[in-house]
Amino acid sequence: MNVRNGGLLVLAVVLVVGSVLIGSRHEGARFTGSDGQAMAAVAAIRPDYQPWFGLIWEPPPEIASGLFALQAALGAGVLGYYLGFKRGQARGRRNRADAGD
Amino acid sequence: MHIAEGFLPPLHAAAWTAVALPFVAVSAWRVNRLMRDQPQVKLLLAASGAFAFVISALKLPSATGSCSHATGTGLGAILFGPSVMALLGTIVLAFQALLLAHGGITTLGANVVSMAIVGPWVAYGLLRGARRLNAPLAASVFLATMLGDLATYAMTAGQLALAFPDPASGIAGSFVKFVGVFAPTQLPLAVIEGLLTVVIVNFLREYSGDELQILKFPSQTVAVEARS
Repeated sequence: MNVRNGGLLVLAVVLVVGSVLIGSRHEGARFTGSDGQAMAAVAAIRPDYQPWFGLIWEPPPEIASGLFALQAALGAGVLGYYLGFKRGQARGRRNRADAGD
Repeated sequence: MHIAEGFLPPLHAAAWTAVALPFVAVSAWRVNRLMRDQPQVKLLLAASGAFAFVISALKLPSATGSCSHATGTGLGAILFGPSVMALLGTIVLAFQALLLAHGGITTLGANVVSMAIVGPWVAYGLLRGARRLNAPLAASVFLATMLGDLATYAMTAGQLALAFPDPASGIAGSFVKFVGVFAPTQLPLAVIEGLLTVVIVNFLREYSGDELQILKFPSQTVAVEARS
């Protein structure tokens, strides 16, 4: 199980690294977001379209990167807590079962 | 799949919000009931939400030389059922719209429909179908969550196409255009989402047999749990 999970994680990392390497060879590749490209496509289809509502608040770039990190950290923190908790719980159960033998 | 703030005409924005609202309301009710009736799975629910939180925060590079992000809503959908994910996905999208200038308030409804409703339902439906065909669980989970991720982006392309039909080729032509923007970037990311979801599900089947049993999710550790 753990070996298989390790393999899957390695495969995911290979995909990410491979994507960067292949993507970097594209002419003018700047790894812009596909969301932004879609909004550019909107402008291409309807050049006269103006967004009718602006962002209520836009974080300055430095703060935005911090907030993105915060979002990832909160998610990874809770997820990691759960995974560690369950592993410890299973180990505790096994140890108790061994002691009872 | 985040449609930027103001990028859907008012009528479309209102319509998608109206579509999303009942799903989110039912979802809130379902989550509430789940917490009350099955408090043992609370932590797993939090972990599923956290998975979507972290995965949708990571902008991953793609072989096309652009970036996008996975959705992470497939995991919770296959564990808890798709209706539960509408609320969790809305929380993620609201966080990004309010604090990260990612998406927006006027487009929140549309983004909720694609990421928190369509994606989860597709993932859930595909897993159910694959289980009925007795397909191996890991492969089923991979395909279901990968295609759920792609379905989210297909939905976004559809929403944009409806709002911005191509002058020459109409809604269909516009849809093809938007799919062309998203699909090449999203395909490898959807594969990554599928892989990571399988990793989590493998872990759960080994260590969280008790919770999976409550959720009636196929687990391999039930026998071990019963013995100890």
